[in-house]
Amino acid sequence: MKQILSFILNGSPVDVIVTPTETLLDVLREKLGVTGPKRGCDDGDCGTCTVLLDGEPVRSCLTIALTVAGREVLTVEGLSTDGDLHPLQKAFHEHGAFQCGFCTPGMLMSAKALLDHNPTPSRTEIREYMSGNLCRCGSYEEIIEAIQVVAAGEYAPSGGKE
Amino acid sequence: MTEYVGKAMPRYDGIGQVKGQTKFVDDFVLPGMLYAKALRSPVHRGLIRGIDFTAAKNTPGVVGVVTADDIPGAKRFGACGDQPVLADEFTAYLGEEIALVVAVDEDTCMEGIEKIKLDIEEQQPVFDMFEAMKPDAPLVRPDLKSNLWDYGSGMTTRVMYIGDVEQGFAEADLIVEGRYQTGEQDHSAMEPMVSVAYFDEAERLVIHTHSQCLYFQLGQLAAIFNLPMSRIRYVGGVVGGGFGGKNHIHADHLAGLAAIKFKRPVKYRYSRREDLLYSTKRGVFILEYKTGIKKDGRLTANHIKLWHDSGAYGGFSPYGVEKCSMFASGPYHIPNTRIDGQCVLTNKAGSSSMRGFTIMNGQFPMEMQMSKIADTIGMDPWELRFINAWRDGDIGASRYVVRGAGALEAMRGAAEVHGIELPEHLLAMSSRGR
Amino acid sequence: MREVSYFAPTEVGEAVKLLAQHGEKAAVLAGGTDLVAQLNYYEIKPSALVYLGGLDLDYVREEGGKLVIGAGTTIAHLLTDDLIAQKFSVLAEAAATHGSPAIRTKATIGGNLGTASPAGDMIPALMVMDADLVLASSKGQRTVPIQEFFTGPGETVRTAEELILEIHVPLLKGKAVFKKLGRRKAQVCSIVSTAVRLEMDGGVCKDARIVLGSMAPTPLRCSKAEAMLKGKAVDAALVAECAAQAVAESTPIDDQRATAWYRAKAGTALVARALAEVAGI
Ligand SMILES: Cc1cc2nc3c(=O)[nH]c(=O)nc-3n(C[C@H](O)[C@H](O)[C@H](O)COP(=O)(O)OP(=O)(O)OC[C@H]3O[C@@H](n4cnc5c(N)ncnc54)[C@H](O)[C@@H]3O)c2cc1C
Ligand code: FES
Ligand code: FES
Repeated sequence: MKQILSFILNGSPVDVIVTPTETLLDVLREKLGVTGPKRGCDDGDCGTCTVLLDGEPVRSCLTIALTVAGREVLTVEGLSTDGDLHPLQKAFHEHGAFQCGFCTPGMLMSAKALLDHNPTPSRTEIREYMSGNLCRCGSYEEIIEAIQVVAAGEYAPSGGKE
Repeated sequence: MTEYVGKAMPRYDGIGQVKGQTKFVDDFVLPGMLYAKALRSPVHRGLIRGIDFTAAKNTPGVVGVVTADDIPGAKRFGACGDQPVLADEFTAYLGEEIALVVAVDEDTCMEGIEKIKLDIEEQQPVFDMFEAMKPDAPLVRPDLKSNLWDYGSGMTTRVMYIGDVEQGFAEADLIVEGRYQTGEQDHSAMEPMVSVAYFDEAERLVIHTHSQCLYFQLGQLAAIFNLPMSRIRYVGGVVGGGFGGKNHIHADHLAGLAAIKFKRPVKYRYSRREDLLYSTKRGVFILEYKTGIKKDGRLTANHIKLWHDSGAYGGFSPYGVEKCSMFASGPYHIPNTRIDGQCVLTNKAGSSSMRGFTIMNGQFPMEMQMSKIADTIGMDPWELRFINAWRDGDIGASRYVVRGAGALEAMRGAAEVHGIELPEHLLAMSSRGR
Repeated sequence: MREVSYFAPTEVGEAVKLLAQHGEKAAVLAGGTDLVAQLNYYEIKPSALVYLGGLDLDYVREEGGKLVIGAGTTIAHLLTDDLIAQKFSVLAEAAATHGSPAIRTKATIGGNLGTASPAGDMIPALMVMDADLVLASSKGQRTVPIQEFFTGPGETVRTAEELILEIHVPLLKGKAVFKKLGRRKAQVCSIVSTAVRLEMDGGVCKDARIVLGSMAPTPLRCSKAEAMLKGKAVDAALVAECAAQAVAESTPIDDQRATAWYRAKAGTALVARALAEVAGI
């Protein structure tokens, strides 16, 4: 039974026809061309599909698309504003916080949620918060470092160190 | 130049990665694209008696099926060319691909697959290498004469030697034996196996691949599709993690065959569970050591027997046995060394390359053996290793003359990092001579 | 193509009517952290999805000397709720081990009960507090003590027409803790878990609850071990004996996470550690 789903995607309203068993990940990737969120497992385990739903991190692969009706979804595509990279994107890039990059979109979204909740996390808090995002290339140290430098204000939007 | 040398540079493709714009294979969603999923063998070993696709083909949304009869060219592939592209007579591991159902989406593919009536005779499988080597063991595949890999002319043992181990044992004061095993391991790259294939405006078959080695694979694909290589655009370059797991062809041949049959874009995507269960793995190695030692710690002989579990097909495993043999005696000067390697087939998904392919499967047991020897003769394990480490000009079982040896220096570095103080006479040793 | 209908009722009455209509063919969808994975892998093929997100079941209240927890309360909510922190901290402890942040934002306590896994991490905490589950159907409501709810792995006394509505938790005395062992610290199904509650009077145990997770077909209350403690002065020797007894009451199995042998060893250590902690020794 097809239905129309309307929600806010990266700040703009979208309307799309979906079926009840389609997940948010299916709809983003296959119907809306938003392929930043990745399908690493479809099982909730890997974190590559992580997006923010009303500001909170969720697995888009475990989210039935119709349940996001009227809500706000933010993907990696919505992180940069007016062409400017988000501080986390800059830090991930400059600190080499990935190798293959497949985990990166999910990592960035979890990291954003972390800093939104806790702008100055300790190393342990970073490790705990990021524990649901797997990086098989093993870039964990650089990921933690990138989050730490953003928390320290290194890439503050005003530019430069604070 | 001055601003680059010696500095960490951000990746040239990094901006695309952090913006989520890098296009991995599964990110290609083409207009009119069909999906394919495989009917997989429900048994570890079986004989296919018949398949009825009628109900599957009649499922709304199913475009058709692909079987071995649809393959325009070579029916077998893999590094050894012994693996059926699609099984038609037998299956030799659980989950082996038998046929493809091609449909408008994956749900419909799965619905079609459920409706296929597969008549398969289940046979007794064999999983353990030593069981498989017994004379009365069931054959892993009907096309084999033995479960031992045949390197040619019936040669099933790969021998690498220097000197004479029997003489070396005679010279030894003591003999130490050991048996070591390394297990299976999955690569689990974050990007599961996937492929997208379609024909471009010039009627070339385009395949988006996450292959780690396009030029190992292009020839195999050309043979399967019966197309000249010039008619295949094999597009790679973005790999969501491979670790050796993407050296074997997992999906490109399947997506390609379906695209050829239906002349439409086709995606074949492994689910994570398919990937974990049916993609290639690092295979098991078992090594048995018999090492001769003088009381002063000098090694006189090393006889190693090694077995590698290849799974149901050859893949890179026969080569892996040879490579492992090169490393199984470690970076040590042992004048009499012999390695007898065998590659054993079992009813499991194929083994393949993985990080440090077969190297540590040889090095790890040898180091265990060295520690066991040190314990046995009551010698400091550093001392034992320093005495025997390769110096320039030494020659190992592979008959390769060592140049630029560095084991001593590496060990000294390791000791330093771990705050271990080595005695003067060891520090005085050099790889430049004995 | 399979036809599936989707319903997002906004009232409990509407929801239970839908369940009555669709029966076994309907799947109740809460946070989806178990259910949607099963859908993705074709393990279940419901013809209707009834989404509970519109029912406003995400609440924790204190009523008549009890905590009342809505079935739709997310694990993330349990972790940050003041009432839970003050009066039912063992549940918050368990919540902190549940999955990872992006799982906790969606996973619900009702879903944990619905899944009825022997490894469900909210369950031991609810069991040591003698919680009651309120089930609702189009015919009315009934209350089931949690002790009687589970009948096997994934199996409960809940009928297809019933909804888990809320959980009533008496504010029992004593101190309770939860311990979990997994293959890693985050995002794991437990190898073994335990919740224990002891009510102590001086050095003497007045009342005890010991529950094991992942050690039997359902989360397991170890009543013989509990009886060993009652009326006794709790010392290290008794703790060790009691932990061994608790594990002796269980029937652990070999699976991909651990062997039965390891579960028994680790379970004994975990129960002993939990008991020592609550007994203050
Ligand atoms: C990566 C990952 C990590 C996890 N880690 C843990 C962990 O550490 N500990 C743990 O215990 N679990 C864990 N889980 C499992 C899962 O998160 C929990 O079982 C969770 O509590 C399920 O809640 P839900 O709201 O997502 O349920 P759903 O998936 O929506 O539903 C689960 C089941 O319960 C039924 N159901 C849900 N709500 C109700 C209701 N109100 N009335 C009747 N039936 C209902 C559904 O029909 C379904 O059968 C994990 C899952 C994932 C994917
Ligand atoms: S794809 Fe969603 S968690 Fe792996
Ligand atoms: S960079 Fe490859 S998985 Fe993280």
